[in-house]
Amino acid sequence: MDVKAFLSKSMFLGACLLSTGITLGILGFMLVLAYPLFARGLFWEMLIQPWSPGQGLFGVGPMITGTLCIASLAVVISIPISLGVACFVGIVHPGGKGRILKSVVEAMTSVPTVIYGFVGVFLLVPLVRTLFSGGSGMCILSAGMMLGLLISPTMILFFVQSFTLVPQNHLDAADALGANTVQKFFYIVLPWAWKSMVTGLILSFGRAMGDTLIALMISGNAAAFPESVLDPARTLTAHIALIIAADFDSIEFKTLFVCGISLYAMTGFGVVLARGLGQRGRA
Amino acid sequence: MKGNKNKRALVWVGILALALVFCTTSLCLAGELDVFAGENQVLRISGGTAHIPVMKAAAQKIMTFNPEIQIIIAGGGSGAGIKQVGEGLVDIGNSGRQATDTEVAKYGLKMVKWAIDGVAAVTNPQNPVKSLSSLQLQDIFSGKIVSWKEVGGKDAPINVYTRDAASGTREVFWKKALKEGDITEKANVVVSNGAMKTGVSNDPYSIGYVSVGFIDDGVSALTLDGVTPSMASVKSGEYTVARGLFSNTKGEAKGLAKKFIDYLLGPDGQALALEKGFIPVN
Amino acid sequence: MASPLWDRAFRLFAWGCSLVLMGAFLVIIGFLCIKGYTALTPRLIFGDTGFWDAVLLRRQVFDGLFPAMAGTLCLIMLSIVLAVPLGLSTGIFLAEYASPRVKWFFSLVFDILAGIPSIVVGLFGFCITLFLHQCFFDRLYPCLLISALSLAFLVLPYMIRTTQMALESLPVSVRLTAPSLGATQLQNIVYVLLPAALSTILSGIILSIGRCAEDTAVIMLTGAVATAGIPKSVFSSYEALPFYIYYISSQYADHSELIKGYGACLVLIFICMNLFVLSHFLKKRLSQRLLFRH
Repeated sequence: MDVKAFLSKSMFLGACLLSTGITLGILGFMLVLAYPLFARGLFWEMLIQPWSPGQGLFGVGPMITGTLCIASLAVVISIPISLGVACFVGIVHPGGKGRILKSVVEAMTSVPTVIYGFVGVFLLVPLVRTLFSGGSGMCILSAGMMLGLLISPTMILFFVQSFTLVPQNHLDAADALGANTVQKFFYIVLPWAWKSMVTGLILSFGRAMGDTLIALMISGNAAAFPESVLDPARTLTAHIALIIAADFDSIEFKTLFVCGISLYAMTGFGVVLARGLGQRGRA
Repeated sequence: MKGNKNKRALVWVGILALALVFCTTSLCLAGELDVFAGENQVLRISGGTAHIPVMKAAAQKIMTFNPEIQIIIAGGGSGAGIKQVGEGLVDIGNSGRQATDTEVAKYGLKMVKWAIDGVAAVTNPQNPVKSLSSLQLQDIFSGKIVSWKEVGGKDAPINVYTRDAASGTREVFWKKALKEGDITEKANVVVSNGAMKTGVSNDPYSIGYVSVGFIDDGVSALTLDGVTPSMASVKSGEYTVARGLFSNTKGEAKGLAKKFIDYLLGPDGQALALEKGFIPVN
Repeated sequence: MASPLWDRAFRLFAWGCSLVLMGAFLVIIGFLCIKGYTALTPRLIFGDTGFWDAVLLRRQVFDGLFPAMAGTLCLIMLSIVLAVPLGLSTGIFLAEYASPRVKWFFSLVFDILAGIPSIVVGLFGFCITLFLHQCFFDRLYPCLLISALSLAFLVLPYMIRTTQMALESLPVSVRLTAPSLGATQLQNIVYVLLPAALSTILSGIILSIGRCAEDTAVIMLTGAVATAGIPKSVFSSYEALPFYIYYISSQYADHSELIKGYGACLVLIFICMNLFVLSHFLKKRLSQRLLFRH
């Protein structure tokens, strides 16, 4: 191995280590900054406590609840639609129409989130307000619907991708036996593709959880535990955006790291889970 | 081939444009702006969101006069303004409340008040409720009164809007209008005076509070205990939910920051404050 | 499930969902177009300043999108310049040097990095700045450079992933030719594998550009402000298009400003769509050409 080869290899390795360092560094940095909270044993309490600075309570419980509610609603809204569109593209019309639709869906992934938020503020929120009289229209429902729309393209592409895992000869065999599309879908496609589809679901859920702008702009940002889908709620991400202006030494500011760590942990866990599934799916 | 040439020409235009970042021409106008001639620094301003319209207008005048100067304006709220100027992240930190004694002592802040402003409770113009007593106001904000019917309006739930913790507007309103009463957790939280106005003007059943300078056709100011908030009633002292607009510096203001604050206190700056709906101090 | 009724219902479901999604998409685009098309004039971008005065930076533009567009452009260029070398090298390492076990570990790490919400990356950037400001450089503020670095972290996993995939999916015939002629591994990578995988890598880079252009959460924490003019150095704050849209949506002063917000949305969508189409085209066109060559 000559010097040049060695140098280039170490350079590539160095880049790889640096990238890894960044990933771990983000977590490490937040852990260090949140250390005072750990040391005083406040960290775990904060995850469930309510947020009422007046009474000295700085828990992010409402934000975690808000995040989970909004992200779950988004996924629940998005699943049937994505499934339908994916079937359209992958099974019902795999040819011309499906290809066009797939291109449009791919184009949708490039629409900026802030656009969804903007349209949410000026179109969806007034609509929700008039449909469900009472309430400001800034609520979990509005945010969930917009987020559902945001994550649908990702989910659809994932589903379509999973459908291609199904071996063509199985499909041909089904066709030869005279199966219709429903039978093909339930007896052949689903058993082959479900694991990969669940992976897509988990990653989409992570995407919904990690989005800031839609929640910040149209979910109302109230720091109370939401009781219905028409209540305003604050997500962890929106909380970070709102509190960032606070005093750096204050306990409010420290809660940002609790939010950051929770988000990191939840999305990280999702990724590990998704990979675990993917691994077993392949084996 | 032709397309290629055009592309190359475009690239060159781009390069030229970048190169010209450093080349500027200056205009010569006489007046109060003269002191800004020859400066080429960056002035960073952040904090109180009520201040932003005046800051923007002043910055536009100064930067038009001398394009070498760059004035950067960010929001964040009064708390952020005080903290950031204290930490040296910005040159001028605006606040819509006086800095507390601890803040002044900790950072050696110098406060300059250049306008007086009121904070008014506002509702949507469609809302028939036009006046409230302070007790009603407190009950609405604390969440005890939840329907407009209870204060003589339509049978619709009240949507309370409030500001984040860094807001000076919130601090003043909370102290002087709500008498330090609770603000319900169910309230929608917005991040600036502008956002409050937008939120309230789009929501027929809303109530919120903004700086008097921000009141226009989009929102209607509530008469509080019989006094209508306006520039006149704030000036006469009749409307008590009032505060000064401050620009703070760490230590005595120097250089461009001093010139900027002097400009705000001069006739031009004071006229701008008046134009944007605040009461000049000089 | 053999009855044709089921089959019909299934098709209907697929059609229905597709129509709902397309409908929602068209409503969004249509809504912006209807509300915003009146704003699409040179005034939207340049305000009262003349075109050449603005482009040659002779005069500041105050009530147009020009500073925001310039800020976004600088931001994109800077973050891509920062992210490309790191992303490429890491991708090359994973595809060409790493053993399966090592590869498994690193891909997991980069998947996690890809999953981190952008605002957390922004928070990280903000705190790093604060830390550096307090401890080392008191002239360092949240600025263009910090935003670009944070954005580079954000798009890094995409870049690593596309590079790795592009290299790994090359056919064995391409992979083995040069070494069999006596080329070293490095020569093989630089002269054969990278050029062959270039189209996919490029389309990945363009998608990353799109990501930089649209992200708002990171930049609102790390230096984007309401008014800054054209950024004069990498250490200054800046305006950006997505941040402008967010800012307008919450605090437009009057109707004309709101209309400008709609206009800004259309401009941003236009930019992002074009980047997308470019990347799509590049992937198709170049891969076809390569297909013919071999």
